[in-house]
Amino acid sequence: MTHKSLLIADARTKKRNAAERRFKAYGLSAIVVAILALVMLLVSVFGTGASAFRQTYATVTVPLPEDKLDKSGVRDIEVMKKVTTIGYTKLLNEGFENVVIASGIPTGLSRKDIGGMLSKEAAATIRDHILANPDLVGTEATLDLLMNGRIDGYFKGRVTLESAALDSNTSPEELALAQALKDAGIIHTKFNWAFLTNPDASDQRPEAAGLGVAILGSLYMMIVVLVTSLPIAVAASIYLEEFAPKNRWTDLIEVNISNLAAVPSIVYGILGLAIFINFMELNQSSPLVGGLVLSLMTLPRIIIPARAALKSVPPSIRDAALGVGASKMQSVFHHVLPLAAPGILTGVIIGLGQALGETAPLLLIGMVAFVREYPAAYTPDAGLFGEASTALPVQVYNWTQRADPGFVERASGAIITLLIFLLVMNAVAIFLRRKFERRW
Amino acid sequence: MKDINMQNPKISAKNVQVYYGDNHAIKDVNVEIADKTVTAFIGPSGCGKSTFLRCLNRMNDTIDICRVTGEIKIDDEDIYDAKVDPVQLRAKVGMVFQKPNPFPKSIYDNVAYGPKIHGLARNKAELDEIVEKALRKAALWNEAKDRLNSPGTGLSGGQQQRLCIARAIATAPEVLLMDEPCSALDPIATAQVEELIDELRQSYSVVIVTHSMQQAARVSQKTAFFHLGNLVEYDDTTKIFTNPDDPRTESYISGRIG
Repeated sequence: MTHKSLLIADARTKKRNAAERRFKAYGLSAIVVAILALVMLLVSVFGTGASAFRQTYATVTVPLPEDKLDKSGVRDIEVMKKVTTIGYTKLLNEGFENVVIASGIPTGLSRKDIGGMLSKEAAATIRDHILANPDLVGTEATLDLLMNGRIDGYFKGRVTLESAALDSNTSPEELALAQALKDAGIIHTKFNWAFLTNPDASDQRPEAAGLGVAILGSLYMMIVVLVTSLPIAVAASIYLEEFAPKNRWTDLIEVNISNLAAVPSIVYGILGLAIFINFMELNQSSPLVGGLVLSLMTLPRIIIPARAALKSVPPSIRDAALGVGASKMQSVFHHVLPLAAPGILTGVIIGLGQALGETAPLLLIGMVAFVREYPAAYTPDAGLFGEASTALPVQVYNWTQRADPGFVERASGAIITLLIFLLVMNAVAIFLRRKFERRW
Repeated sequence: MKDINMQNPKISAKNVQVYYGDNHAIKDVNVEIADKTVTAFIGPSGCGKSTFLRCLNRMNDTIDICRVTGEIKIDDEDIYDAKVDPVQLRAKVGMVFQKPNPFPKSIYDNVAYGPKIHGLARNKAELDEIVEKALRKAALWNEAKDRLNSPGTGLSGGQQQRLCIARAIATAPEVLLMDEPCSALDPIATAQVEELIDELRQSYSVVIVTHSMQQAARVSQKTAFFHLGNLVEYDDTTKIFTNPDDPRTESYISGRIG
């Protein structure tokens, strides 16, 4: 036999090593592709959506003459409510023109055009302010008021002087005035809390649209999902894993749970429509129905990881408990369940995360509704969960269908909000897992 | 096979058959086990000695496909009687497993768990006393007394197994079953556990399954040799290891089968 040196790799070894290097390269490129996709997604969403969190306001001093707002002079709210936003719009236009004149900026625009630079929402803002503080009538009020979507878009780079020349909703003169007012410090942009607290707004007022109702709707649905699916899923998985006899029926149930987890979510929407709305006659578009539908969808998705977590507890622990004379139930609740808890908890939170981002089934039960006002649902006397609402992913879907370009920014902003909620939930899952994980 | 007829056996098994599905794992075993003695079950892998051991505290009940027939009496009571609750039985017949399996809790909680669920202590002081007694009997007290609140899983392998023994005797059992208690331990820990088993004989009837014939010879007074699900020979340990009746026993102890 010839002597073979270990210092020289033979042909077989070289081939094997080359195959391993190739495989590593494939794996690495797969990860690079995945990361690039993620970066592109984030760049595109944050690029268009980050501006939703800043909003352009003008500081306007509005005259509040008593003869226009409260002729009787007794400050009766019911009487004062008869003055509509149209009445306030006139005062607003006057106030804003005064501001422009006082600033000394020359402009050829009429009072109506100058007033039109403010959002249609501004009149409602001032009306609500006066109805909340009736004593202001007869004096004047200085408020930060929303500018309209075009002016806001101009400061965010969405609207240019060229595009304004072709736009019936604004004009280059208005933009020039807005720029001058900004330089004078009358118009400014600030963090847009209203985006997180306002309800949705109509097509003409993207600048006033907010996520308040959607966030509350999603929150209420998550509460319903947690309260219904957590106990059912945990009880079902403990029973199936620890107590159920292994026979054809439990096999059938097991297969069906796996299948249910893979059923397209829109099917659950149809089921929810049939059961909760048509049969049980719960209110459509309500967080209660939405939450119940999402619970149906989430149940198998929690049962599967919960069973896996129970299964991963070493059988020696069960033997140890039974060996000292613990009953089956004591062995499960004293020993197995605490060890499986971190896994179950992670499954629950991931299930909730999926439910939070789910859109399709909600469309079928009418949660796509345009909700202009905070529903009475969110006052305790109306039963909290029963009234029409919307949800975060549905709000995204809704806004992407609107005509005004201002809604593109809003939709991306809503996606950012949704992503932040999901990130927080996953962070909580990881934290809980780390905290309660026990080694054995 | 020679019958050993004892006066007042602690455990007596008659015509015991065990089936796993279609597999006939234990074939017609008859045996009587004495109180305050160490009885060793030896035999090659898969001969049914662990299966038979697990019949004695009905741990086989947890296996769905396992079926036991025949009669096993402890103190003249049939433990497979429909009126017997296996939970009560297991408090009387403690068990130590092959791999040390302490709960992922503190040393104290490991030992205190059994007495707690059986209501053996009326207050904390009594529980403390039970825990100390059990740890002392298991020869772990000196090593563990200063770290009762540290996790049981942090002990060494031999200490963990002694903790499991302490846990088993804390419920005041009358019989102690040990399923290859030393197979995961090093020689020094094995020696400690063997010494312990010898002391436990004073208070309990100990049944130990072992792969090591030397261990059986060292710790037991009676030895049962199992082969292919049959109880081939059961006699005094010295007799089995010096002058067995059955040629299969002789083959096994001299290393020709197994």
